[in-house]
Amino acid sequence: MKPRVAVFSLTSCEGCSLAILELENQLLQILGAVDLVNFREGMTERSWDIDVAFVDGAVSTPHDEEEIRRIREHCGTLVAIGACACLGGVNTLKHDPARPDYRRVVYGDRADWFPTTRARPLSAVVKVDAELPGCPMVKEEFLELVRCLLNGRPFRLPANPVCTECKKLGNPCLYERGEICLGPLTRAGCRAICPSFGSACEACRGLVDGDALRAGREVFSTQYVVPWEKVVARLRLYGAYPESAEPVAAAVAGGAS
Amino acid sequence: MSARILNRGELLRLIDEAACDRRLIGPMRRGEHAFYEAANRAAELDLEGPPCVYSPKNHFFPPEETLLTFERKSRSFVTRTVRHETSTALVAVRPCEVHGIRLLDHVFGAAPSDEGYLARRRATFIIALDCFRPCRDEAFCGDLGTNTAHLGFDLMIRRLSDAEDEPRGAERFELTSATEDGASLLSRTRLGRAADRDDLDAARAYDHRKAAAFPRRLACEADDLPDVAQRGYASDIWERTAARCYSCGSCNLACPTCYCFNLRDEVSLDGKSGARVREWDGCQLREFALVAGGHNFRAAPAERLRHRVMRKASWIAQRTGLPGCVGCGRCDRVCTAKISLVEILNTLAREQDHDHAGHT
Repeated sequence: MKPRVAVFSLTSCEGCSLAILELENQLLQILGAVDLVNFREGMTERSWDIDVAFVDGAVSTPHDEEEIRRIREHCGTLVAIGACACLGGVNTLKHDPARPDYRRVVYGDRADWFPTTRARPLSAVVKVDAELPGCPMVKEEFLELVRCLLNGRPFRLPANPVCTECKKLGNPCLYERGEICLGPLTRAGCRAICPSFGSACEACRGLVDGDALRAGREVFSTQYVVPWEKVVARLRLYGAYPESAEPVAAAVAGGAS
Repeated sequence: MSARILNRGELLRLIDEAACDRRLIGPMRRGEHAFYEAANRAAELDLEGPPCVYSPKNHFFPPEETLLTFERKSRSFVTRTVRHETSTALVAVRPCEVHGIRLLDHVFGAAPSDEGYLARRRATFIIALDCFRPCRDEAFCGDLGTNTAHLGFDLMIRRLSDAEDEPRGAERFELTSATEDGASLLSRTRLGRAADRDDLDAARAYDHRKAAAFPRRLACEADDLPDVAQRGYASDIWERTAARCYSCGSCNLACPTCYCFNLRDEVSLDGKSGARVREWDGCQLREFALVAGGHNFRAAPAERLRHRVMRKASWIAQRTGLPGCVGCGRCDRVCTAKISLVEILNTLAREQDHDHAGHT
């Protein structure tokens, strides 16, 4: 029997759902291999008997939270797609304590009509089986995950930073131009699309791991005049900087208790 | 085979002759950088510019290539080898890069040999370009003797005249060969003339100028490098330096002697066909030494950094008799954490000198 697949969107632009529809050359093949049973961007039918659910968007409202719990309950495999679902994405910018007025800017005097929580990745609320990060997610990586699911093969994200892809593509390094690129800290898999077009990586696919963050702190405090705080501010754009990575504050609090 | 002397116009014509039935690849300028890329004519190449950002190893050992495709037929698999060699003239390869290619030849040529690599290698006519001064601050080829090559190319170009003493267009280029293919092209061509006594004098003067032009950067003799590295195995330099290593593998991927790769199978949606793909790997990358079952033999960045330096300074030379590092300085240049191979080696050498002095 063909796996029953659904696609859902929480707080996001739904660009990652649309990226699935952009797989034009492979779409018919995919639709031949799976049964699509619930996809707001692509169809009108709605079923809740689901084998694999793909979800984009962050958990950013009480409604999102209900929705993701309901999806989790009704699906076998839950896949987070895109920076919002994997990291919280640009939605996490509203956490900036220096900008408490974000909701007023967006919703004006009706801000209270729209209840909101901290923007979180799906994994902060429910168990997630696989993540396809990126803004938007990488279509080819989605396809690879689908191939793995259908063939019962394990799927793993690359454990290398974006630099490996720049080197394979033969890109000159942006650091040579004096730019600060987040490529060394960021998970590869995007084929270094931003640096390939001369634009610094913004870490939309998240950190490779905690080691990259530790190395980055060491590098920027000893080798560059750019302060680490500025790098962290840029890592926050897509929520790549983990809130748990506040080692100094945490250690001090721990030592005091 | 004696040397042949050409002026600039003749040199470009000779390169075009070599490339008449081959694809031409050489340094193409993009802004301040040069890259080994395809050109239509030799006149498009930048023979005087900076060395290419990346070494020419891509042309024998591409970053990613399909080795074979497979298809499921009833109860078995049918495989088909994919080969993609194109007859190529690779131009302006620097001596250090020639040494890098010689190492790759050794590694991929040893049994069981890599037929895809060897086919591409055989299909490539290499016209090397000697350096009469160091190309960049990071280079330390002069210390390693890799700033000169006598083997591993078909033709070698040496510009006997100084940039200052002869106007553009009137320069003297000396061409020598190291293979039968190279010798045959030199004997066939009507371009230029045979080298005479005056050219030999100029060549000797060139050698002297060149010897004086490469400053020493290594704190020890090249012959002592393997020992210096080995003695430093237990040094704390690995921990200290790796604290800022991103494990991004840029040093590996930009290195002309790094040859490690990973194999990956891509399977179609229906699982009935697929391809085996080879891609560059590097010992600084996190999962390089990860094996089935989840054990990682070099899980810590310091262990990986030490492994790379040991390979470059000691182990490869011991195993192959060829230099594991050719001193091009690309690893230092691409490292955004500013970790320097030369500095590591020099620190080790100095630590050991100091220890030695302390004991006597």
